[in-house]
Amino acid sequence: MGKATVIPFGPQHPVLPEPLHLDLVVEDEKVIEAIPQIGFVHRGLEKLVETRDYNQFIYVAERICGICAMGHSLGYAETVESLMGVEVPKRAQYLRVIWHELSRIHSHLLWLGLAADAFGFESMFMHCWRLRERVLDIFEKTTGGRVILSVVKVGGVVRDIDDAQMAEVIATLDGIVDDYTKIMNTLLTDASVKNRTVDVGYISHDEALALSMVGPFARASAVGYDVRSFGRGAYGDLSDFQPITDDGGDCFARVKVRCLEVLQSIEIVKELAAKIPVGDIEVAVKGAPAAGAQASNVLEQPRGECYYYARGNGTKNLERMRMRTPTSQNLAGMTKALAGCDLADVNMIILTIDPCISCTER
Amino acid sequence: MGSFKLGGMTFGSLFKKPETVLYPVVTKTAPAGLKGHIVNDASLCILCGICQKTCPCHAIEVDKKARTWAIDPFRCVQCGSCARACPKACLAMEPTYTPVAAVQAVTVVEVPDPKAAAE
Amino acid sequence: MARFSQEFTPLAADAIHEDAAARKADGWRYVQTLAVNTEDGIDLIYSYMRDGLLENRIVKALPPHATVPSVTDEFLAAFVFENEIHDLFGISFEGLAIDFGGNFYRVAQPEPMTIISPELKAAREKAAKLAAAKAAKAERAEKAGEAQAEFLAAHPEAKAAGTGAGKVLKPSDDEAVEAKLAGMDPEKVARVRAAIAAKAKKAAEAEQAAKDAELEAKLAAMDPEKAAKVRAAMEAKAARAAAAGAKEGE
Repeated sequence: MGKATVIPFGPQHPVLPEPLHLDLVVEDEKVIEAIPQIGFVHRGLEKLVETRDYNQFIYVAERICGICAMGHSLGYAETVESLMGVEVPKRAQYLRVIWHELSRIHSHLLWLGLAADAFGFESMFMHCWRLRERVLDIFEKTTGGRVILSVVKVGGVVRDIDDAQMAEVIATLDGIVDDYTKIMNTLLTDASVKNRTVDVGYISHDEALALSMVGPFARASAVGYDVRSFGRGAYGDLSDFQPITDDGGDCFARVKVRCLEVLQSIEIVKELAAKIPVGDIEVAVKGAPAAGAQASNVLEQPRGECYYYARGNGTKNLERMRMRTPTSQNLAGMTKALAGCDLADVNMIILTIDPCISCTER
Repeated sequence: MGSFKLGGMTFGSLFKKPETVLYPVVTKTAPAGLKGHIVNDASLCILCGICQKTCPCHAIEVDKKARTWAIDPFRCVQCGSCARACPKACLAMEPTYTPVAAVQAVTVVEVPDPKAAAE
Repeated sequence: MARFSQEFTPLAADAIHEDAAARKADGWRYVQTLAVNTEDGIDLIYSYMRDGLLENRIVKALPPHATVPSVTDEFLAAFVFENEIHDLFGISFEGLAIDFGGNFYRVAQPEPMTIISPELKAAREKAAKLAAAKAAKAERAEKAGEAQAEFLAAHPEAKAAGTGAGKVLKPSDDEAVEAKLAGMDPEKVARVRAAIAAKAKKAAEAEQAAKDAELEAKLAAMDPEKAAKVRAAMEAKAARAAAAGAKEGE
């Protein structure tokens, strides 16, 4: 009978992209339970709606998280447009989705690098981030910023991508696919990777539903929920979109789902770039949201479903803006996955929910 | 020892061009539209103050009496909304980043009075 | 493929837990819980989704520091939001599965989202003033409209004057006139507006006469053949305008 020790994990840890603290109750190298603690990056951004009007707040929403910056600005803009009844032109919708899918590619490449680093595969980490640099170069050429894009505004987008730039984007993505396929092959077939990820942090399909998990974390447990399949905006013009699911339920399945999602996003960008209509990229938005008007919105960010809620009060400042990010939903799932695992697997399991704690805490 | 799956890619990278550039000997050309810093063309500025109202960071200060337009480049987040809101198109985003400095300083631009110039 | 739709429906505070239990049994997925600090109290919004329908249940106007049953026994994922709401808004939840007891977010001031900053107060006052002014204007417009209809029924010639000038009588946006008219008797208001319309019509006719005179002067100066052609064209245009006017009158 071992003695239970409490090992504090985080908030600073090489494997964590953002600060998260866990109290691991450990007995002889086996984790009995894990109690999460967040709050290290709480900046109170939701209260800033009182001092920034609805046009200025989009820049605050973007900076909630560096990895999901495009997702938050897009979700915020869509929610305010729904609140004020603004219809965004088709070309702007296409451009937004193209940038959002590129953001998904960069986020998953970042994650694959971190996941490889979590079990010591540093050269894979370097390769993934090398390919990610090419996507960041695309962002720099088309939007002017590498991480914080500032390209979405309420009513449309701020910049256009002309045909020459679009061809360059597609060429860059084609250049990534070759090297990426080799990397993916390594991650999914190599024996040492399998040793560290198969049967680690198993969550069954029923548990995934009970814990209300979202995103690739849930899709790896055969929960086929993806907001993109509702077909809103430019997603509705895709010829065939099926969410990628896997019924493994363990860390290996989550790695596989994210790997395949990168390829799916590259296909989506190519399809939309070929179909993009000619037209305006923005529509003028005047006035302010009506008092008491409310709107909610969901968006599939790289980490899962993100819920937005806005309420107006008749002035240019919103009464309330709420962003519920996918990681806050997945914390319960993470706590469950950590119970009963080996201490050495804690890194991998925490990373497989793709924790974006800055988003969780705002 | 298992198969060296990344062998092909690793061997090939001995001969391919490296992904990195030899900075600072070689610098990357900034793409057009890079969000670097805001400049104001004083000859077109009318000191209306719309940029000050639009800025989400309160980085711009317009003093109509003293005829100065000031921006704090260290508060600016390079969003570009001032350049888009300007009615006279005198604000522009230059593709060079604000250089690193030991002290945060505000950039002040004196806007000449068109009436005084006409006399 | 399910289509996305959203709804906002009210919920009573004592029904929170049984609603959650019913939805869990029915296969609904829990989405989130949020709180809004309003002037009347704190609103809680629970969201659930099934088959593309996002249902937001709103519990309106809870008193500050209220206690509400937790849904974490049905949906464990709610513990994050309930702890957050407790730290930021002050609502307590009974029966939290993982209870941080107010230490989830270690904030500098307790319940920071309920603190009304001076900017928020100013914004709310401005919104209230705007709403009051709008309501008053709408009321005045309705009253003036009723009075005018009455007046026109009694005085048919006023109507002719109105349509002849092509102007429609509606409450003007001129604030000074509005202020004066607001204080007057509604029937008098209608008479005053009819007078304004008649005056405007006379001014328009005078303008037209001046234009005609100018045109005649030009024609006299031109080549006689050309002048005849121009006159013919003008007459044709006038005939068409008259026909159109007659059609509109029908």
